[in-house]
Amino acid sequence: MSTHTDRLGTSERAVRRRLDRVTDPELDESIVALDYVDEVAIEGRQVRVAFTLPTAWCSPAFAWMMATDAREAVEALPGVDRARIRLREHLHEAEINEGVNEGLAFAEAFPDADGGVAEVRATLDAKARLARQYDAVEALLEAGLDPRQVATLEFTDLWIDDPAVAFVRGRSVGVSVAADPIESYLEKARETGLVADDHPELFRTPEGDPIPVDRFELIQHRCRLATVNMGGQGSVCDALNEARRAENRPPLSPEEHIP
Amino acid sequence: MYHEYTYHDAMYEHDGEEIFVIDSHVHLWDASKENVKHEGGEQFIQCFYDYHTGFTPEDRQWSMDEYRQYDPDRMAEDLFSNAAVDMGIFQPTYLNEFYHEGFNTVDDNARLADRYPERFVLNGRFDPREGEAGKRELRRQKEEHDIQGVKLYTAEWLGDSKGWRLDSEEAFEFLELCAELGVENIHPHKGPTIRPLNRDAFDVADVDDAASSFPELNFVVEHVGLPRLDDFCWIAAQEPNVYGGLAVAAPLAVHRPRKFGEIMGELLFWLGEDRLLFGSDYALWNPDWLIETVMDAELTDEQRDEYGVELTTDVWRKIMGENAAELYDIDIEAKKRAFASDDVAERFGLRDHYAGADVAAD
Repeated sequence: MSTHTDRLGTSERAVRRRLDRVTDPELDESIVALDYVDEVAIEGRQVRVAFTLPTAWCSPAFAWMMATDAREAVEALPGVDRARIRLREHLHEAEINEGVNEGLAFAEAFPDADGGVAEVRATLDAKARLARQYDAVEALLEAGLDPRQVATLEFTDLWIDDPAVAFVRGRSVGVSVAADPIESYLEKARETGLVADDHPELFRTPEGDPIPVDRFELIQHRCRLATVNMGGQGSVCDALNEARRAENRPPLSPEEHIP
Repeated sequence: MYHEYTYHDAMYEHDGEEIFVIDSHVHLWDASKENVKHEGGEQFIQCFYDYHTGFTPEDRQWSMDEYRQYDPDRMAEDLFSNAAVDMGIFQPTYLNEFYHEGFNTVDDNARLADRYPERFVLNGRFDPREGEAGKRELRRQKEEHDIQGVKLYTAEWLGDSKGWRLDSEEAFEFLELCAELGVENIHPHKGPTIRPLNRDAFDVADVDDAASSFPELNFVVEHVGLPRLDDFCWIAAQEPNVYGGLAVAAPLAVHRPRKFGEIMGELLFWLGEDRLLFGSDYALWNPDWLIETVMDAELTDEQRDEYGVELTTDVWRKIMGENAAELYDIDIEAKKRAFASDDVAERFGLRDHYAGADVAAD
């Protein structure tokens, strides 16, 4: 990045592109695509981002992940020194906004919470990995690979370009395949630690092991199930979001109703 | 006061064939302002109302005041007259920390069930954190109401506790007592987050151990584990005594028919047509429009190919009634004959409704 950009800070477009990489961990979809981001304001090298979730009682752990991820993503921009995140209309917005902007740990912001946020993130990342694996495997089958070839494909058999190329038959044959699902899978495989582990195989069972060829179909069915689960939950969130924003909805604040 | 009267002269039909409907998930609740004792009680009913309006066609929505509390008369009207529900299964939800007299207790439900005992199954409930007093209460429910099943709410608050697990030692003692009392059907709520309850307390994983440890009991996982449909299906695929209750999944058919088709595809693929039970979750949603919408749902060609399943009349007959009848020892043909002239038929003018059964009885 040039010193010119550094001095001037950043642009809203650049910030939104960064935020686009932040996902709702339960749905594995970008918070920008889901329309959660309400506002991006830039003052010199300071950025403020405001966002709202579909319901006021969305899991605090999920809200926390999105807020911290957003802060980190924006602060990674060369023209940004500080990003302040503001979660709106959430039951725990005070704890989350303060905790995330002050750089606290989740357990410090929520002393009552049972578990840490890392465990929740790992569980959801593992599910997102399966859903992305489903798409990548379908793309490879579509491109003409057979189940045995897909199950035994290794990370080093891939050439990432546009399109990507998967090498099979002792790397003597290269097959073109759409790059998007492959790259998207690799990103999650990396985040879930599969790229750097002891196995060279690209695709894995839900437990992280290589896929025995005779279980290929079952594993792909489980990956499909992960995809459908995320989409189904997305529909529930959508509907709640619409209900929440409807006119004439009773007020969220409970105090006035308590006798 | 009521939205409209659409009397059903006949039973629900699918491709011209009659469907006997057992709504396996209904409530008679009280979230009136007088009954709310904790802020959580107010949040809870408002959250329910979001689910209600989010998935109900606009012209069929209730007002918030109607929604807080409805009486047994309205419920009977909504189930038997406005909708062609043939029987209902009450699933209580206590929430004693939130409501002075509880939200939806077995004794509340009995107010309607006792009026039409042939039309309802009255389930009870237990909370393993209540210890010996809880066991006495479970025995009382069996003796007084002859409960056939229990609804379990693992996210319920009690003192400092924000939930409990079905695979805990204490829960196992209660499951043993259920087996001893012949209370065979266990309905754990494993569904979407409901404010202000802790989402993780609805984790479906604890059903696995309980189901394999108690093969003599049936575990009907309400709301099919959403948002953990994947965990639920995988557990159910391995535990033959695990069933899926469709409450909450069903209303997706309204605005998201494609998603509903996918979810039905997965459920039929992993569990098969014998282990799924329809439930409206009344009064979360009204069965009248819901049953019609659900049975009108069709899989896309792509979904049929992908899952190798079809929503045929036989499949709907099982999901809408026969599977619940199997779990609760209900003889559908005998019920149809009896219902042709029972109090409900008299009150709501349903004599023609069971006309087919009359012929069969002659």
